[in-house]
Amino acid sequence: MNCPDESTYGNKADIISTVEFNHTGELLATGDKGGRVVIFQREQESKNQVHRRGEYNVYSTFQSHEPEFDYLKSLEIEEKINKIRWLPQQNAAYFLLSTNDKTVKLWKVSERDKRPEGYNLKDEEGRLRDPATITTLRVPVLRPMDLMVEATPRRVFANAHTYHINSISVNSDYETYMSADDLRINLWNFEITNQSFNIVDIKPANMEELTEVITAAEFHPHHCNTFVYSSSKGTIRLCDMRASALCDRHTKFFEEPEDPSNRSFFSEIISSISDVKFSHSGRYIMTRDYLTVKVWDLNMENRPMETYQVHDYLRSKLCSLYENDCIFDKFECVWNGSDSVIMTGSYNNFFRMFDRNTKRDVTLEASRENSKPRAILKPRKVCVGGKRRKDEISVDSLDFSKKILHTAWHPSENIIAVAATNNLYIFQDKVN
Amino acid sequence: MEVQKEAQRIMTLSVWKMYHSRMQRGGLRLHRSLQLSLVMRSARELYLSAKVEAHEPGAPLPPARSPDPRLHPREAEAAAEAALLDGEQSSPEPMDTQEAPRAEEPPARCAPRPAKVSRKRRSSSLSDGGDAGLVPSKKARLEEEEEGASSELRDRLQPPAQAEGAFPNLARVLQRRFSGLLNCSPAAPPTAPPACEAKPVCRPADSMLNVLVRAVVAF
Repeated sequence: MNCPDESTYGNKADIISTVEFNHTGELLATGDKGGRVVIFQREQESKNQVHRRGEYNVYSTFQSHEPEFDYLKSLEIEEKINKIRWLPQQNAAYFLLSTNDKTVKLWKVSERDKRPEGYNLKDEEGRLRDPATITTLRVPVLRPMDLMVEATPRRVFANAHTYHINSISVNSDYETYMSADDLRINLWNFEITNQSFNIVDIKPANMEELTEVITAAEFHPHHCNTFVYSSSKGTIRLCDMRASALCDRHTKFFEEPEDPSNRSFFSEIISSISDVKFSHSGRYIMTRDYLTVKVWDLNMENRPMETYQVHDYLRSKLCSLYENDCIFDKFECVWNGSDSVIMTGSYNNFFRMFDRNTKRDVTLEASRENSKPRAILKPRKVCVGGKRRKDEISVDSLDFSKKILHTAWHPSENIIAVAATNNLYIFQDKVN
Repeated sequence: MEVQKEAQRIMTLSVWKMYHSRMQRGGLRLHRSLQLSLVMRSARELYLSAKVEAHEPGAPLPPARSPDPRLHPREAEAAAEAALLDGEQSSPEPMDTQEAPRAEEPPARCAPRPAKVSRKRRSSSLSDGGDAGLVPSKKARLEEEEEGASSELRDRLQPPAQAEGAFPNLARVLQRRFSGLLNCSPAAPPTAPPACEAKPVCRPADSMLNVLVRAVVAF
C-alpha cells in the first residue's frame, strides 16, 4: 500500500488544494499548491446550442500567494491555497477571499471590455506626442475591446496567526469574516487589515497540556452571531458571539460517545474532524472524520442524527495507512443545494454521495478513462473480501495516492466539481 | 511478543515521522505533531503492557477496579519527572516555533531534541553493558511511567470486542494483564530503588527500550 511519488503525477504545484462555487454557481474557483487561483465561468446557455448545457471555461488565472520566509522563526511559509471563499456579489465585480497558512487576501475580479482611445496628448501607442504637432483638441472615447479579466488584491490580512490557518468563513452580515488556525479564531472586518478580534483561543497556558486543536470553523449561514468549530478530538462547539467577547465557552457541545467495539490503536486520530459544514437551511451541521460523515441536528448534542460510512473497509488497514501517511488525509464534505444529498471523497479517485432521504448511496470515480464528454458515470464498488465480482475493485488494489479531498456542489443545480490531484472534473446531471 | 515488536515498530516509525515533519516546507504542523505523539504514546503503553504480559504468562490476577492510591502520587511524580527531564534536556531550537516542540513532549515524553544529544547517545547506548551507569535513572522513570501509564490506560481504554483493528490480540492481552500491572508488587514502595527485582518491568536487559527512548529524545 505504498503511495508513489507525487511527482509522477505531473507538477506538484498543480495539485488542487481547494474548490469553491460562488453563490450563484456562475463561477467556480480552484486554488492549488503553487499559490495560484483559477476561476471558471459558466457559459451562457444559448437557444441555438441546447446540448451545451453551460460548460465551465477558464475565466481568470492569477497568482494569489507567493512563498514567503519568516526570518524570525527561520520557517518557510507555503504558498499553497488552503481555502477560497466567495463574497456575495454586490456590484459588477466579484470578490473572493483566499488564504494560505498565514495570510488571507481579498481579491477583486473585474471585467474590462472597453478601452479609451483617441487621447489628445498621446499617440495610438501611448507615447507622448510632440506638443508642437498638436493642432486640434481630441477627447478620448471608450471603444470596445477584447474582454479582459483582471484580478487585483484589495486587502491583505496578515500577521494575525501564529499557527497554520485551516479555515476561513464569510459572515452573513457580509461585513466580517473569520479565520481559524490550530488554536485560535480571529474575526476580521473586511475594511480593516491591521486589526482583528480574537474570538476563540484554546491555547493552554502550558503547551505541554495541549490535547486538542481546532480543525475547521464556519459561520452560520443566516445568524451572524453564531459559528461552529470542530476539533481533533471529534467534537464540535457552537458559539454565540453575543454571549461574550471571547467565545471560549461554547453554547453547545456536540460529541458522540465512543463505540467501544470500534476502539483500536488509531481511534484517536481517526476521530479527528477534518471538515465541518452548515446545511444551507442552517438547521444541521455535517462533519467528516477519517472513515465517516455525520449529520448533526443543532438541537441534539449527544449524538449525530445520521452517520454514513464512507470507506469502512479501511478500518482494518489503519496501520498501513499510518505508515504511508494516508491516515492524516483531510477530506472535505459538501451539501447539495437542497440539503438532501451529501458528498465526500475517498481513495482511488472515488467519491461518494449519500441521499439522506432515500438512504441510498453511490460510489463514482473521477478518471480520464471514464470521463468522456457526456458519458454517464458508472457506479463503482469496492469488494471487501470473499469473491470479487467483475467490475469490483478489491481493497488492496486501491490506489491511495489518488485521493479526492476537495469537492464542491453548485448551490442550486446538480453540478459538481471534483478535484483529483491536479485535475478538475465537472459533472452535471444527465440532460434528457 | 508480536504485539511488542509491532508496538516498537510503530514507535520507531512515529519518531521518524516526527523528525521528518520538521523538514517539511511550512514548518512543524501542530495538529500533525499532536497526532504523532498520540500514536507514540499508545504504542509505548502497548509495548510496556505487552512486556508485562511476556514476563507473566498465564498467571491470572483479580481485576482491580478501585484506583490504587499509590498511583496518584506516582502520577504526580511521573509528571514531575517529565518536567524535570524537559528542563534538563531542553535547549532552544532557533529553527522552530517555540511552542510546537513542547506540545510533543508530555504525551509521550519524547520531544525532538538537538542533534548534539544524539552524539552522546551513540557512545553509551550501543555498548552492551556500557549503559549500566545510566540504566538506574531509566529504570526509576520507567517504573513510574509504567504505573502512570497503566492507570491512564485503564481509564481510557476498553479492550475492543472485535478482532478488527491493528492489533487483534490487544484485547485479550489488555484484558488479562491490566490488573496485573497494578498488583505486580504490592509491597514495593513508590520510589523503589532501581535494584528492585520484584518489578518485572525493571529489567536491565531492556536496552532496546532505552535505545528507543533515547532515539526519541535525540530528536
